[in-house]
Amino acid sequence: MTDLDLRTSSTPATSPTGTTPLRAKPLRPLEKGLHALRYLMLAIISVVVLLPFAWMVLSSLKRNNEVFTAPITWFPQEWQWHNYLDIWTQADMSTWLMNTIILSVAVTTLQVVTGSFAAYGFSRIRFPGRDILFLVYIGTIAVPWQAYMIPQFKMLSSVGLSDTRLSIILLQAFGAFGVFLMKQFYDTIPEELSESARIDGVSEFGIYWRIMLPLSVPSIAALAIITFTNTWNDYMGPLIYLRSPDLWTIQLGLKTFIGQYNADYSAIMTGSVLSVLPIAIVFVVGQKYFVQGIATSGLKG
Amino acid sequence: MTFTSTRRTLLTAAAAAAPVAALSACGGGSDSARNADGKIELTMAGWSIDSTPEFSVLKEGFEATNTDVVVVIKEYSADDYETQLTTDLSANSAPDLFPVKNLQPYHYLMSNGALADVSSLAESLAGDGNINLEHLTIDGSTYALPYRQDSWVIYYNKELFDAAGVSYPDGTWTWDDYQEAAQQLTDGLAGTDTPAKGTYHHIWKSVVQGFALAQSEGAQIDSGDLGFLAPYYDRALAIQEAGLTETFSTAQSQSLAYQAQFGTQKAAMTLMGSWYIATLLAQRESGDADVFEWGLAPAPQLDASTSENPVTFGDPTSLAINASLSGEKLEAAEAFLQYVVSEECSSALAEIGITPSYFSDAVVDTIFGLEGMPEDDVSRAAFQNNDTRPENPVGEFTNDIQTILEDTHSEILTGTTPVADALTAVEAQLENEGLIA
Amino acid sequence: MTAPSASAGTQLQADRPGPTPRRRRSAIRRRQTISGWTFILPNFLGFGLLTLGPVLALFYIAFTKWTAFGSPQFTGLENFQRLMGDSTFWTALLNTLYYAGVHIPVTLVLSLGLAMLLNQKLRGRAFFRSAAFFPYFTSIVAVAQVWNMLFAPEFGPVNQFLRFIGLDNPPDWVASSTWAMPAVIVVSIWRETGYYMLLFLAGLQAIPPELHEAAKMDGANWFQRLWNVTIPSLRPTTFFVTVMLTIGSFKVLDLILVMTNGGPGTSTLVLSQYIYRMGFERNDFGYASAVSLVLFGLCMVVTITQFVYNRRKER
Repeated sequence: MTDLDLRTSSTPATSPTGTTPLRAKPLRPLEKGLHALRYLMLAIISVVVLLPFAWMVLSSLKRNNEVFTAPITWFPQEWQWHNYLDIWTQADMSTWLMNTIILSVAVTTLQVVTGSFAAYGFSRIRFPGRDILFLVYIGTIAVPWQAYMIPQFKMLSSVGLSDTRLSIILLQAFGAFGVFLMKQFYDTIPEELSESARIDGVSEFGIYWRIMLPLSVPSIAALAIITFTNTWNDYMGPLIYLRSPDLWTIQLGLKTFIGQYNADYSAIMTGSVLSVLPIAIVFVVGQKYFVQGIATSGLKG
Repeated sequence: MTFTSTRRTLLTAAAAAAPVAALSACGGGSDSARNADGKIELTMAGWSIDSTPEFSVLKEGFEATNTDVVVVIKEYSADDYETQLTTDLSANSAPDLFPVKNLQPYHYLMSNGALADVSSLAESLAGDGNINLEHLTIDGSTYALPYRQDSWVIYYNKELFDAAGVSYPDGTWTWDDYQEAAQQLTDGLAGTDTPAKGTYHHIWKSVVQGFALAQSEGAQIDSGDLGFLAPYYDRALAIQEAGLTETFSTAQSQSLAYQAQFGTQKAAMTLMGSWYIATLLAQRESGDADVFEWGLAPAPQLDASTSENPVTFGDPTSLAINASLSGEKLEAAEAFLQYVVSEECSSALAEIGITPSYFSDAVVDTIFGLEGMPEDDVSRAAFQNNDTRPENPVGEFTNDIQTILEDTHSEILTGTTPVADALTAVEAQLENEGLIA
Repeated sequence: MTAPSASAGTQLQADRPGPTPRRRRSAIRRRQTISGWTFILPNFLGFGLLTLGPVLALFYIAFTKWTAFGSPQFTGLENFQRLMGDSTFWTALLNTLYYAGVHIPVTLVLSLGLAMLLNQKLRGRAFFRSAAFFPYFTSIVAVAQVWNMLFAPEFGPVNQFLRFIGLDNPPDWVASSTWAMPAVIVVSIWRETGYYMLLFLAGLQAIPPELHEAAKMDGANWFQRLWNVTIPSLRPTTFFVTVMLTIGSFKVLDLILVMTNGGPGTSTLVLSQYIYRMGFERNDFGYASAVSLVLFGLCMVVTITQFVYNRRKER
């Protein structure tokens, strides 16, 4: 049995022509109007959505005492371009950036790999206790972390893991979120696919690896983007676990600009702008995988 | 082949390294206090080291005379220091020495046995009039020694006073005088090139409750009677309703910084702790604050009776020794605490603009000798002569009560609930939760 | 053997009562249990040890008095009895329910709508998708600052607009105990819609376009296709989004901390903040754990209801 056969056999018999382009015929005036309206709506939403980001960028170019004012001011009195130099020279931005990258990549990789693997077990294999175990997974998401972080910290520091990168990686990589997301996505994929493969004698791992994974590219992209963003922006985890300055992440590092009674807000904004850029890149790259067709290419011979 | 051999080498090296790592991990424990150089190593918690030079000053000053001890500063977050410290203490991984920022968590840490008893050190200072340890005493014992003791004063902008034609504070202001000056300033500055507000009240509850507790006759935070807060809230409301300060709501929602309000001349006065002196001087230097003539004045008083020795408030910032220390390390830590409350240390702190706990005339001279300090007598007297009472008098319920009073503060100053109703409600809550001594 | 119909869900042939002899069935069952656990184990090792363990510890701590020092002292149901008479707890609970009750449905509808809009072919799609996700990672301080400016009582654009359309006394928003929560909810919807849109977008990709084509050929209009094709096919994703949105709403904390810090008074105090306060500010970790159990219970009631409902729909 080849892959090709397998896929053909499972194609629903409803597709006569394959994918037709979404908009094949010329637009009528009413449709044209609706079309314009849609763009107008999206443009307005984009402005409202990007306004805080604009404020953030402008504030990063102000003097510290100009950032928070009443009423709000948008533009700096004098543009403080040197803020973007200072954060690399006077603060340890490069160390923070490196650490954040290491943690985010490691956590994202592990979360995607173990999460998608476990999700297959939850979605496609039926065994006693599966649903209960699945609810236990979801249940842990429902418990606020601040309530059990002390027991967790005591446990990890008793085995010498506090103040290591490994602690954060271990804590975040095996969370229930990825399992849940991937399981729900696998549930969307028609059962016939794995079923017919099973009949053809493909092992469970083969089905996971050769059928489910290629089909789940969009959800892997979603999981990767979200895990990356959450690890990147996580503050409380690193706050509790990472104490040595050479292990600090950006979010933790930016807090050094806040003293007991004082804070350097423009430096915080500068750091925040720099911190957002890598996520934006990851998103722009990742969202390319949200394309209809990748998910369904497996359905066609 | 090379791959295999390299790998094997790595594995062997890892296997060989493992026991060594385990051994050195043991060596870091409290059993053996000496490090590789044969020195006693003490760890100390600090926050935002780059912008908080005091920790390095303490460390370097101590190491200069105690050459066999090394102090290693562990950097904590200033914002979340208590959270990190609680977690550390719970997992027995707290540093050997750690600051107690103010008196609010002091009782909790003490009653859970986290703080070593340093009463013997405190006793040696008993007769010294330059330092006050009374506020740190619990049932006759002391568990931390202060290295700084701030107190609240008025900061005012002489140039804005001149522009509005208002005379400078003479050192005998009551709250009525203060409010009237704020009114005159606001009126006098409206429509000029510098349309500043008369004063700025920051959003902290200390600005109202700290003064109320310190100045009201017989006021006790855990007595169950919070009536003493009422006149102070009435005044705070009157001042913000008359537009003499940015309102609480504006300051809160726009995250206003008091340093910006006073430092960039948006307000002609502000009520603030003495820690702001160092910040203001630094910001004048860096250009974050405008350069203008300024001065200090004693906190406004309830009436003229206390103008000789004005009553204000402020908690000591102290250092405590981890209760798990023993032997050489404990001795070294005690020596460190002894240094922290010494006259020598106080002048080193004063040089960076910090108000040390050991408060001698020399300290006042040092601080007023700093570049950018005012030179008038009222400023000097405001800094030097005052009766500073604790914001958080040590007691079993103080922390709980203060946490609850945070809500009351925003409730009243946003105008959500009338003063009397809000106070009645919180009194009932304190009684319900059994927080009355 | 014929392939099961599309509605079979995750059920396997072997599980159904049928002619298979009992012994063979149990052998299959054992083999499936082993293979199921093989998939789950790599994740479960980390999960069980690092998350489940501490969570179980919390379940115990909820029945104790614990200051974070020494061992917790077992006190039975004392913490829960105290909850009954704790008016601040009830305020926080009601505020949380208020927040969740509005935030969940609105965000759900908006994010699904946005996902469907941005799933179509249109120029600048990548830009709009990125823009929609932007609020989720923009610094929360900046978010709070700009929205507080938009909501400013006197000169804020929101109130100027309200006055323009004839409302003479627009609300004080975050400065008002009545309007602070609606303001927080608006901002949180704005902030999270893009995030849930992303999840819906991934789910929409999984629907074979052939299903839409077929429905179109049958003459189904846009709404009928939405109702009969998109929504049923999206059910697993919707379940995921609804559960995460529910849990996220019940656990809301960050945005409230920077926008209102629970105020004015306790008008926007939510359970998560109360848990943090009772734990790290008042050092009563037993009580904080008890409140956490209530929060956990709320989430689970909603989750299990949806789980069971979803099951029934699938069959």
